[in-house]
Amino acid sequence: MTTSETTPPQTPTVVPARAGLGAADPPPPAAPVRRRRVLRRLRRNPLGVVGFTILAVAVVAAVLAPVLAPYPPARVDFDAPFQVPGTVGYLLGTDDLGRDILSRILYGLRASLQVGVLAVLVALAVGVPLGLAAGYFRALDAVISRFTDLMLAFPFLILAVGLAAIRGASLGNAALAIGISQIPGMIRVVRSETLRLKGLDFVAASIVDGAGDLWVLGRHVLPNALSAIIVQATVTIPVAILGEAVLSFLGLGIQPPSPSLGTMLSEAQQYAAQAPWTAIVPGLAIVVVTLAFNLFGDALRDALDPRASRR
Amino acid sequence: MSRPPSLPAGRAGRRALAATGLAVTCLIAACAPVQPAEGPAEETTGQSVGEPADAGAVEQGGELVVALSAEPDRLDPVTSRSLYSRYVFHTMCEKLYDLDEDTEIVPQLATALPEVSEDGLTVTIPVREGALFADGTPFDAAAVKTTLERSLSAETSARRGELGPITSVEAPDPTTVVITLAEPFAPLTAALADRAGMILSPTALTALGEDFATAPVCVGPFKFVNRVAQNSIEVERDPNYYDADRVFLDRITYRIITDASIRAANLQSGDAQVADTLSTQDVPGLRDTEGITVLETDSLGYQGVTFNVGNVDGLGTPPGDVGTPVANDPRVREAFELSVDREGLVQAVFNGLYSPACSPISPDSEFSSDAAQACTEFDPARSRELLEEAGVQQPYPLSMIVSNNPDTLRLAQALQANLEEGGFALSIEPVEYSSLLDQQDRGDFESLQLGWSGRVDPDANITNFLGTGGGQNVAGYSNPELDTVLEQARTSTDTQERVALYGEAVSLIQADDPIVYLYRQRNLSGVTDDVQGVQVFPDGVLRVAFAGLTG
Amino acid sequence: MRAYLLRRLWQSALTLVLATIVVFLGVRALPGDPALAFAGEERDPASLAAIRAQYGFDDPLLLQYGTFVANSLQGDLGRSTRTDIPVTEMLAAALPVTLELAVLSLAVAIVIGVGAGVLAAVRQGRPAEWAANAVALLGLSVPNFWLGLILILYLAVGAGLFPASGYVPFTEDPLANLHHLVLPALVLGTGLAAVVMRQTRSSMLEALGADYIRTARAKGLGPGALIGRHALRNSLVVVVTIVGLQLGGLISGAVVTERIFGLPGFGKMTLDAVFQRDYPVIQGVVLVTASAYIIVNFLVDLAYSLIDPRIRVAGAAT
Repeated sequence: MTTSETTPPQTPTVVPARAGLGAADPPPPAAPVRRRRVLRRLRRNPLGVVGFTILAVAVVAAVLAPVLAPYPPARVDFDAPFQVPGTVGYLLGTDDLGRDILSRILYGLRASLQVGVLAVLVALAVGVPLGLAAGYFRALDAVISRFTDLMLAFPFLILAVGLAAIRGASLGNAALAIGISQIPGMIRVVRSETLRLKGLDFVAASIVDGAGDLWVLGRHVLPNALSAIIVQATVTIPVAILGEAVLSFLGLGIQPPSPSLGTMLSEAQQYAAQAPWTAIVPGLAIVVVTLAFNLFGDALRDALDPRASRR
Repeated sequence: MSRPPSLPAGRAGRRALAATGLAVTCLIAACAPVQPAEGPAEETTGQSVGEPADAGAVEQGGELVVALSAEPDRLDPVTSRSLYSRYVFHTMCEKLYDLDEDTEIVPQLATALPEVSEDGLTVTIPVREGALFADGTPFDAAAVKTTLERSLSAETSARRGELGPITSVEAPDPTTVVITLAEPFAPLTAALADRAGMILSPTALTALGEDFATAPVCVGPFKFVNRVAQNSIEVERDPNYYDADRVFLDRITYRIITDASIRAANLQSGDAQVADTLSTQDVPGLRDTEGITVLETDSLGYQGVTFNVGNVDGLGTPPGDVGTPVANDPRVREAFELSVDREGLVQAVFNGLYSPACSPISPDSEFSSDAAQACTEFDPARSRELLEEAGVQQPYPLSMIVSNNPDTLRLAQALQANLEEGGFALSIEPVEYSSLLDQQDRGDFESLQLGWSGRVDPDANITNFLGTGGGQNVAGYSNPELDTVLEQARTSTDTQERVALYGEAVSLIQADDPIVYLYRQRNLSGVTDDVQGVQVFPDGVLRVAFAGLTG
Repeated sequence: MRAYLLRRLWQSALTLVLATIVVFLGVRALPGDPALAFAGEERDPASLAAIRAQYGFDDPLLLQYGTFVANSLQGDLGRSTRTDIPVTEMLAAALPVTLELAVLSLAVAIVIGVGAGVLAAVRQGRPAEWAANAVALLGLSVPNFWLGLILILYLAVGAGLFPASGYVPFTEDPLANLHHLVLPALVLGTGLAAVVMRQTRSSMLEALGADYIRTARAKGLGPGALIGRHALRNSLVVVVTIVGLQLGGLISGAVVTERIFGLPGFGKMTLDAVFQRDYPVIQGVVLVTASAYIIVNFLVDLAYSLIDPRIRVAGAAT
C-alpha cells in the first residue's frame, strides 16, 4: 500500500503530502515545551481562535439548554405556527407545529454535539487500537488493511439504513452508524503515524534495546501519535454532525419529538418556501458549528505539525 | 403562554422581519426574492376535479410533462401493485369500466353495466366492437377472457383477490363475456373498473409472456414508448385508438420526482405541466401562484391508528391475548379516540386541506350514510375519566410505530401533543416502510399509524383489515358479529341494503375501536394554465389522456 | 514490481468477494423482504410466496449466493424485484449520470480548491491564506442537502436560472444536460473543494520548500512560472488522489444530491433499493461500487508511482 495516508469516504480531511519518510526527524521535544509551542501557534492563528470561541459558546449553550431555552423543545402550540423570527416570545420564530425554534436549536445543538462526540468515540475506540496494530505489526497489517478496504468499498448508507432498520431510529444508533463509517479513516491515520514513528531513531533504538512491543507502543508511539489522532478526531466531529443531518434527511435520525439540527432541517424542507426561516436558522446553526470545528481542527493541525516550524 | 399579536401593526413588523430572514439567506446563496407566506391560507374544502378540454381552445399535438410522485412498479396490470402505475396505465390501458367524477361506475371497453343473474352467480358483460390494441390486434371478448384468466392463474398475479370467487370466464361471441362465480360477489364491477379490468393484447402476451411489463400493449389513447428506470416513462398517441379524435397530445412524458417540494418547484418553473400529490404545505402558495390551478378531490382511503388487539403470532394466525390494557380494554382505545382532536390535527398538520375521518367509508361513496359518518367528539376530560375507570396508570404509556416520512412524522408529533391532554404518553417510533410492514405483519407493535389508499367498493376498505382472518388484519381483530354483517354486505346485490349494512358495520367498529380513523387525504394535483382537460376524480388517478395544450 | 502487482490483484479480488458476501448476508438480515416491500398495500400470503419463489429467495443461502456468483460472472445480475427491469440495464442507465455528476463536481472542486490552495500556500501566514482557508472550510461545513434546497429555492424557482430538478441525457441534448447539472455539481463540488484545497496547500508548501525548487529558483526561474508549473503538477496529484479516495464519499454525497435534484443516478438507485429491500439491485450496486473502488485505488497507486517516483521508493519500503 503506497497511498497509506488517506482519507475515509466522505471524510474530507487533509491528506498529508508526506509519505512515510522521516528517518532523519529528531526525537520530539519534551511534552511541556511542545504544548506551550502548540498553544502559542494556535493563538497566533486568528481562524483557530474564532473557531475555538464559537465552539466554546456552542458547548456552553448546549449544556445549559434546559436553563436557556424559553420553552420545552417539544411543546406544541397549534395556535402559533409559523411565527416569524422576532415575534414576541419567539426570538427565532416557530415551526409548523408552533414550537419555539430557539428552544429547539439549543436542544438540537445538544443532540448534534452528542452525536458528533459519540461517533468520534466509536471511531477512536476501534480505529486507534487497529491502527496501532496495523502500523506496528507487519503480520496484522494485511488483515487490517483488507478490513479497511472492505469498509471503504462498502456504501455507508446501506449500513446506516440497516442499523436503523434493525435497531430503530435513535441518537445512539445514528452515532453508531456514523462512528462505524469513520473507523477506516481513523485506522489509516493512526497506522501511517505509527509507521512513521516506528522508523524514527529514538523508537528504533528503543526496539533495539529490547523493549516490549506494548511498552514501545504505549511509551513512544501512542503519545507521539496523539497529535495526529486529536486532529483526526477534531475534524471527524463536524463530519459526524453533517452525517446526522443526512440521516435525519433520510428519516433515519433521532427519535421525534426530540430535535436535532438535522431533523429540524429535514422537517423544514417541506415548507421552506412558505417559511424560509425554519430552514435557514437550523441550517446556519449547523454551518456555524461545523465551520467552527473545521477552523479549529485546521488550526490545530498546523500548530501540531512539527514541520511548520522548520520553514 | 405568550401569543403573538395579530394586529395589523404587528403584521407589518412581521413582514419586515421575514425580509430580514431573507437577507440572511442572501449571504449564503445568490439572492432572489421569494414571497414569504403569511401563515396558513384559509381553509377551502370544495372539490375541484378539473374540466374536460374544449376542443376549440386547444392545439393539436404537443408534449405534456407530468411530474409523478413515485416510480410505478411493473407496467403489467396483472402484476402491478403500486398505485402510481395506475396513473401511467390510465393513458395506455383502458378498462372494462371506468369511474366518473361522482365515483359512479361507467362502461369503457364494456358497452353497458354488467347484467347479474337472479342468484348473483352469473355476470354478463357486453364489450365494444371494432376497437384495436396498440399493436393492431382486434379487441374482443376472447381477449377479455385471456386477460382475466391470466389474472386468475398467474402465480405473481396481484389481481386474484380483487376478482373474487370466479370459477370461469367464457366468450360465447366476440362482444359478450360471461363470468361465473362460486358465490355472489358484489365488488366485482368495481374491480373491473380498476387494474383487473385492463385488457391486454393477446398477441403481446404470447410474444412477451412474463416480460409483458417491458413493453405493455393495451387499448388506449396512448401507447408505450420507453421507460428509463427511476427517471421517466414515455407514451405517444396511438393511431389505432377507437376514439382518436378526442386525443390532442402527441406525447406524454411522466417524470419521476419523489420530493413534493421539488414537484411544486417544477410546476412553478414550468418544467412540468402536471404534478400529483402536492404537499399540503405547498398548496396555499400554489393556489396563489398565477398560472397554476390546484385540483382537489377527497380520496377514498383513510389514515388511522391501528391497535394490536390480538396479533400475537403474526398475520394469518388465530388471534391471541396481547395482555396489555390497550389491547384488551376497549375503554382505553375509546379514551384514545376521545383524545384526538381531528379538526385541530388536520388544521395544524395539513393546513386544513385534508378532511377529518371517523370511518373507513368516504362520505363521497355511494355506500355512505349518516351511520357511516358518525363521529366521536373531542373530549380529553372524558378520556381521562375512562382511563381512570379502566384502572390504568396516567399518563398511559403507549408506543406507536410510524413510517419515517416527513408528513407522518409531523402528524405523529401533533398527535402526541394532542394525546397528552387526554392522559396518554405517546412514544413515537419511526421506522422505514419495509420494516414497518414487517413489524405489523409479525404483530411486533402496540399501535401503528398507517393508512389505506382506498377502493371504490367499501368491502375492500373494511373486510381485509377487520374481518376475522382478513389478509391485512394486522390488528388481529376478530368480531363474529361484524363478520356476519360484512358477509351479508359483500354478497348482497341491493345497494340500499348494502348502505344500511355498512352503516351497521361502522357502528360495530366504533364501539370497539380496533382502528381509530383519523383523516382522509385529498388528492392534490397541480396543473399549469397552458393545459386544458386534466382531471382528477376521487380515485386519485391523474386523467391526462384527453388534455391539450392551449399554446 | 511484478510481485507487488500480483499481490495487489489478489488482495483486490479478496476484498471484492468479501464485500459481496457481507452485502449478501447483510441485506437478508434486515427486517422485511423484497416481496413484502414490493407487495406493499396489496399483500396476501399466497402472492408473497409466489414472489419469493420467483426470485429464489426461498432457496438455501449458499445456493442463492452460488447462483448470484455464477450469474454475475456471465454478466447477469438478476432483475429488480420491484420493476422487473434487469439490474444491468438499471446500472447502465444510472452510472453515466453519477459519473457525469462526479466529473463536474470534481471540476468545480478543483477550480475552487486548487486556486484557494495555491493562494494559501503562497501567501502563507497572511490574511489571504486565512480567507482562502475560511472559504474552503465553509464549503466543507455546509450540509449539502440544505445547500441544494436553498439553491433550488432561490436560483431555480425564484430566479428561474436553472431547472429545479431532473435530468436530460447528454446524447439527447448536451446543453440541457449541462444546464440540469450545474446546481447539483455546485452542491457536491463545494464540499470537495475543501479537500482539494487542503491537499493542494500542503503539497504546494512541500514543493516550495523542496530542494529542486530552490535549485530552480537559484537558476532564476520566476515565481509565476514556478507556481504555474507546480500548481499544475499538484493539481494532477490532487485529482488522482481525490478520485481514488473520495469515490466512496462521492457516491454517498451523490445519494443526497441526486435525491434533492431528482437525478436518476447511482446514489438514488442505491437508496431506493435499500428501502425497497430490492436484493438483486443492492447486490449489483455493491458489486459495482466495490469493484470501482478497488480498481480506482489500484490505478491510483500505479499513477502515483508514475507521477511521483519518490512514493514508489517509499511504498517499496513499507
